Amino acid sequence: MAQCAQSVQEFVQDSFVPTVAVLCSADAERVTRRNNLSFPELLRPFCRLTSEGHLRDPNNLVVVVKGLRISVTGVNTQPLQPGEVRKLLSQAVSGCQPPEGLPANVVTAGDYDLNISDRSVKASVPWYSDWKDTFTQLSSSKFYTATTPWFEAYRENFLQSMPASDHEFLNHYLACMLVVSSREAAPTEQFQRLSQEQHRVQHSGEYTHPKWFIPNTLKYYVLLHDISDGDEQRADSVYEDMKQRYGTQCCYLLKINSRAAAAGPAEQMPDPWSQYLQKSRAQSPVSPAVLSEVDGHDVFCACVAVNSIDTSRKQGGLPASSTPVAHGACLTLNDHDRIRQFIQEFTFRGLLPHIEKNIRQLNDQLVSRKGLSRSLFSATKKWFGGGKVPEKSIAELKNTAGLLYPPEAPELQIRKMADLCFLVQHYELAYSCYHTAKKDFLSDQAMLYAAGALEMAAMSAFLQSGAPRPYPAHYMETAIQTYRDVCKNMVLAERCALFSAEVLKSQVKYSEAAALLIKMTSEDSDLRSALLLEQAAHCFINMRSPMVRKFAFHMILSGHRFSKAGQKRHALRCYCQAMQVYKGKGWTLAEDHINFTIGRQSFTLRQPENAIAAFRHILINDSKQVATQQSAFLREYLYVYKSVSQSSSDVTLPQLPLPCLHSAQTRVFFGHERRLAEGEKQAATHVWLDQEYDGEQAQLWAELEEQVVGVANKGSVPIGFQPTQYCLSCHTDNLRYPLAVVEEPIIVEVVFRNPLKVPLALAELSLLWKFTPKDFSRPPGGVPGEALSNEKEVTALNDIISTEVIPEFTIGPEETKVARLQLLPHKTGELQVLSVLYSLGTVEEDNGTTSRPTFVRGRQDLEIQGPRLNTTKEEKTSVRHGPDHRLDPVITPPMPLLEVFFINFPTGLLCGEIRKAWVEFVNVSAVPLTGLRVASTHPEFFTFGCAASDLTPVTPTASEHCSAYKTMATPPSVAATMLVSPAMFGVSGDDRPTVAEIPLVGGGLGPGEALQIPLWLRGPDREGVHEINFLFYYESVEKNAKLSHRVLRHKAFICASRSLSVRATACHSNTLPRRGGAEEEGGSSMLVFVDVENINTSEAGVREFHIVQVSSSSRQWRLHTCINPTGDRDSRLASRERGKLCFRATRCRTQEGETHARKYTFADLNLGNEQIVSSTTPCADFFFRRGSPSEAQKGGVSVGGANHTRRQSLTPAGGADDGVTGVVQKCSEVELNIIVLWKAYVVEDNKQLILEGQLHVALQTVGKEACSVPQKEEAQEMVLLKFKPDQPPPVSRPTLEQLSRLIKTCLHYPESYDHPFPQKSLCMVPVTLTLSNCSLAQVDVIIDLRHKTTSPESLEVHGTFTWLGQTQYKLQLRPHEVQRLVLKACFFQAGVYNLGTPRVFAKMAQAGTMCETSQQSSMPALIVINSV
Amino acid sequence: MAVCVAVIAKENYPLYIRSVPTQNELKFHYTVHTSLDVVEEKVSAVGKALPDQRELYLGLLYPTEDYKVYGYVTNSKVKFVIVVDSSNTSLRDNEIRSMFRKLHSSFTDVMCNPFYNPGDTIQSKSFDSIVSAMMVQSS
Repeated sequence: MAQCAQSVQEFVQDSFVPTVAVLCSADAERVTRRNNLSFPELLRPFCRLTSEGHLRDPNNLVVVVKGLRISVTGVNTQPLQPGEVRKLLSQAVSGCQPPEGLPANVVTAGDYDLNISDRSVKASVPWYSDWKDTFTQLSSSKFYTATTPWFEAYRENFLQSMPASDHEFLNHYLACMLVVSSREAAPTEQFQRLSQEQHRVQHSGEYTHPKWFIPNTLKYYVLLHDISDGDEQRADSVYEDMKQRYGTQCCYLLKINSRAAAAGPAEQMPDPWSQYLQKSRAQSPVSPAVLSEVDGHDVFCACVAVNSIDTSRKQGGLPASSTPVAHGACLTLNDHDRIRQFIQEFTFRGLLPHIEKNIRQLNDQLVSRKGLSRSLFSATKKWFGGGKVPEKSIAELKNTAGLLYPPEAPELQIRKMADLCFLVQHYELAYSCYHTAKKDFLSDQAMLYAAGALEMAAMSAFLQSGAPRPYPAHYMETAIQTYRDVCKNMVLAERCALFSAEVLKSQVKYSEAAALLIKMTSEDSDLRSALLLEQAAHCFINMRSPMVRKFAFHMILSGHRFSKAGQKRHALRCYCQAMQVYKGKGWTLAEDHINFTIGRQSFTLRQPENAIAAFRHILINDSKQVATQQSAFLREYLYVYKSVSQSSSDVTLPQLPLPCLHSAQTRVFFGHERRLAEGEKQAATHVWLDQEYDGEQAQLWAELEEQVVGVANKGSVPIGFQPTQYCLSCHTDNLRYPLAVVEEPIIVEVVFRNPLKVPLALAELSLLWKFTPKDFSRPPGGVPGEALSNEKEVTALNDIISTEVIPEFTIGPEETKVARLQLLPHKTGELQVLSVLYSLGTVEEDNGTTSRPTFVRGRQDLEIQGPRLNTTKEEKTSVRHGPDHRLDPVITPPMPLLEVFFINFPTGLLCGEIRKAWVEFVNVSAVPLTGLRVASTHPEFFTFGCAASDLTPVTPTASEHCSAYKTMATPPSVAATMLVSPAMFGVSGDDRPTVAEIPLVGGGLGPGEALQIPLWLRGPDREGVHEINFLFYYESVEKNAKLSHRVLRHKAFICASRSLSVRATACHSNTLPRRGGAEEEGGSSMLVFVDVENINTSEAGVREFHIVQVSSSSRQWRLHTCINPTGDRDSRLASRERGKLCFRATRCRTQEGETHARKYTFADLNLGNEQIVSSTTPCADFFFRRGSPSEAQKGGVSVGGANHTRRQSLTPAGGADDGVTGVVQKCSEVELNIIVLWKAYVVEDNKQLILEGQLHVALQTVGKEACSVPQKEEAQEMVLLKFKPDQPPPVSRPTLEQLSRLIKTCLHYPESYDHPFPQKSLCMVPVTLTLSNCSLAQVDVIIDLRHKTTSPESLEVHGTFTWLGQTQYKLQLRPHEVQRLVLKACFFQAGVYNLGTPRVFAKMAQAGTMCETSQQSSMPALIVINSV
Repeated sequence: MAVCVAVIAKENYPLYIRSVPTQNELKFHYTVHTSLDVVEEKVSAVGKALPDQRELYLGLLYPTEDYKVYGYVTNSKVKFVIVVDSSNTSLRDNEIRSMFRKLHSSFTDVMCNPFYNPGDTIQSKSFDSIVSAMMVQSS
């Protein structure tokens, strides 16, 4: 807030002081000139009286005059012309700037903390609590400085430059000093001449400008004596002469210049003149710089120090000098005292008595006139008034501002008296006089005079100390209004407003003061409007509840007017202060406007940093401006920026605000850009920036890598293993420093967003880095090299790290775009990518112009904040971020680099189809590689063949029309068998081998070497699109401390379509094994039925399928012969056809097989003339790599197993039953895998192709169907949530059905038997009952022959027969034992009989408690008895 | 009718400002922003009265040479400001009041939108149309 150094009372008093003219003789002038001062200037510092003066008023009351000041000016001082006044004022304002660098004062107003550059401590004190105290403190305290000193400077200059007006007498000369030097030849005559001169000036009417208060002006005769150089006695005698001539009261002998000018510069003298003279010197001559600033033309050279002294001093013609001229060089302190004494003498002896006399005189005149009635008085005026008659006609009323009384008019006498009283601080009398005068003037409609009287009446009312009269604010208002509207005199109105505002402020009527000040702003003077608006703004903030926003708004208005007035510095200050209110509150339009103005002003004031900051602010915020406005902002910014960057020679490039850089989204990629397919070759997909980050995928790859690393390190994953990351983004773990390999590129992808609605052009985009070379092969602890950076020139250090430069890069309006920038390190060490360097420019729409758009060079730092930490409690409660080392790669020594290409790699396959493709491995680095391995999510999909296989054609082209299988020409016959160990195919144990070693010739690939090896693929069993991930792993031959291995990823998509569905069932065959060969097979055999259905749906493609061969693979069983009833050897299946094949399977000689190495027996049964050797590479590979039987197939078995374990844990007592169950189950288990090999005839592009494939069916249980096509899992139904534990399942016993299969029975007898019944009535037929134990346990068997078929129908069909001999047998059968029992059947007559009546009961030998179970009865065994 | 309609959040940042497009938008921003001082003054003066009987309509905030600024404060201290042309003398206080009421109910609808995030700038078609209706009638 604009607080003044003075209190309001002082201010008003000092503004209206008695003025004294000085008339100097040339000689006297010369005397004072020795001090570089004129006579009035000499007196000026001493014009305030330190002691009290007294005078008596007309009522003889003593009036005390305190702290009176008088104003002394030369009589010939010309009043300034309005233009000069304007210059003077603007100069005064621009010369007065707020101090910089001082601790600014913070005003808290509501939610706002305003940083206003005033240091008035009290400004924010709550007024309402104790405002009176505060106010007195404020007004009396001298400790705080003025806060808007430019305003006070303006006011002071404004009041001083007020022209003397006719309607008031306050600044009219009351007295005149006549100064004559004592060296004058005839001082008395000189006085005479000066006196005449004064009289001429006052009364001749030739001069208009010096106005005199009273006709008989006080003349004061001063004899100036130069001590150092004059005759003192003469001076004294002249003075005596003067006293006699003019009276002692009006004469003075002033002795100055006690010492010679040249004397003692060493003596330090106070220079009281400097503060007064500085202003007066700068007054009339205006430096060109200031002029130009005032005119507002050339703004750049503004604010050259205004207080530098001009070359041409006004009248004195003193030599110009840059150093301040020493004043008063010839004056001693005694001289100072003498001058002070002189002023005092003059005032008390001369001036005050003169004023007192005049007041009395005027009072007498008025009293004498009072007797006349007012109306008569005015009537007489009418009759006799002559020239001074005020016209009162209606027409003239409006124009009465122009009414002028003659100088000696009686109406003016009272005003004169009031003014005199006012000057000598007799405010009570002054008020009553003004009041009377006001009434008179108003009744005469002399508006100008009335306004003046009103103004002064209000002032004197205010200044009356302790008066009961309140301050009449309405007087002031009327006065201002009259001045402004009626008299059109803005200067007087302004003066009045300044006083009134000051008074109102002192009375804490801030809103009134503000309103008053705002009312005074007008179009005619920008400077005045600016200053008054600023004061009004300060009023708003000082209100009881501070009106911050009004403050801000008026500051902006003020700033606007300041800038119009050419006061750039003040304008900037205003905008900056207003900015504090608008900043960050969402008022973007206003904020942008202020920022823009601040930017412009700062730039013109050569504060480019501020300008850039302001413009930057407009651009980075989400601007709501229209596109044209934005492009204007941008152009302005670029222009400012350019001029700044040209002028400054800073090494570090400045930060650019545009476009927005999304640091967090920065991605870093290590490695070469991916090569696309080359002809038939299809490169491995690997990793590339175009791929979106997928968390699941990343997890999957990491798991694969962990597996392969585990395998490579012989089963253990090293501690601190971290999956290789080729592409770092915000999703990856960036806690460690990433590893990059020397001579391999590092690609940094940065994301730019253009927030503007205009396109942006970037040029010469590149990365800025810092690099510390380090040799990792040496032992650690070596001295690290010096850090290098490419900051000075982008490509200067290309021999260490090549930096890619993108020449042009355009971003459209509101577009988000990525730029990929590449670095290629040539040395090992530690790299840090710091920022992006580029030139920013606009895109020129007009194509015709040749002007290149402006580009400015700058940078934007890539600062990536790590993820928020959230592990410890401390981290949880505070916000902490971890490090992010995405951009700080470590450059390691060279590593091999593998590239993998696939040749003939299909995209679509039939389910189970076998296809041969080729893989090419290329080592593109300069380092040999070794230890190549591959891991995959679908190991059953592909194989590289076993190491033993050497059957492959050497090039991919030669293999085109060959079968993928190894074949042998063999006629279909009994199955050829082969014993194969799974270890040969890299399969160990039951788990699927996810990692495979790739056979490399010589164990590795040298630099630049390439190797092609075959690869067999098998279509997945399920139809649909399959995503198959390959992870190639390789190592360097030499150990690299930083990087142990590298990986290469490939992802393939295979579309599998349906081919065949194979269902197989096995059942026990009832036939006895044939004697001879069959005997050694262990006695058991099975029938295997294979149902093959063509379920291919694409009618166009696949014409038909041929089943070429059926092979089996098992540890216990083998296919023996094909027992197809028909002769259809080469079974073909057209679309939707179904075929059935029947095979007999026998148990292999497994006893020894089981003991050693669990080998598999492969048995091939070819249906055509070509046998496919299923035990070799592609076929057996895929067999061993087949997926584990799907859950659905396994279900039947595994459920029992699961129950089994469950029950064990619950009821440990039932141990005996376990064995039984197991044995019983074993008995019905088979473990036979059927491999169906097929060929498909496909027409594609009018060419017939033959595709081959194989399908696997795993038979597990007798009688249970197994299928090659995995059953679709039924949609899981919603399961009720259970909160109780499940009931323990009932104790499982082997079911009856299972138990009934323990013993297989078979009857051997002749099919028909001829018997001569007539000869022999009894026919006895020998029948052999074969019992074979299927189980692995001892079984007790009871055979009961007594049983008769009881069903009536059988009675009808068959006659009865009886068994002879023993009717019940008890046997014990060892595991897999076969026993024959010879029985005899006895028939009485010819006929057909069913022999299948024996009932067989069996029970496990161990299970004592269990009762026997009836065994499954065999088929009806019919015998025909013929009678011959 | 209205030349500018503004909704200002409790924290005194604009939620919505719309002015007659032909006019200088910046000027209205300044006007509305400055009016907040008066709103605050009035609210703090009224605030001492019973809170539930508080009148939401604040009446004429201040007249400028060309415009009259009216204010309205909801119970949640969201401010509505309507600027009307001074030359439009036909407008009565009641009409202004009803405009504010309409604005308030539409604003309530906006706030009830579950997809509206309190504190965001208002981007609602229906609100827009209500405001347009207030502004269109004049021209």
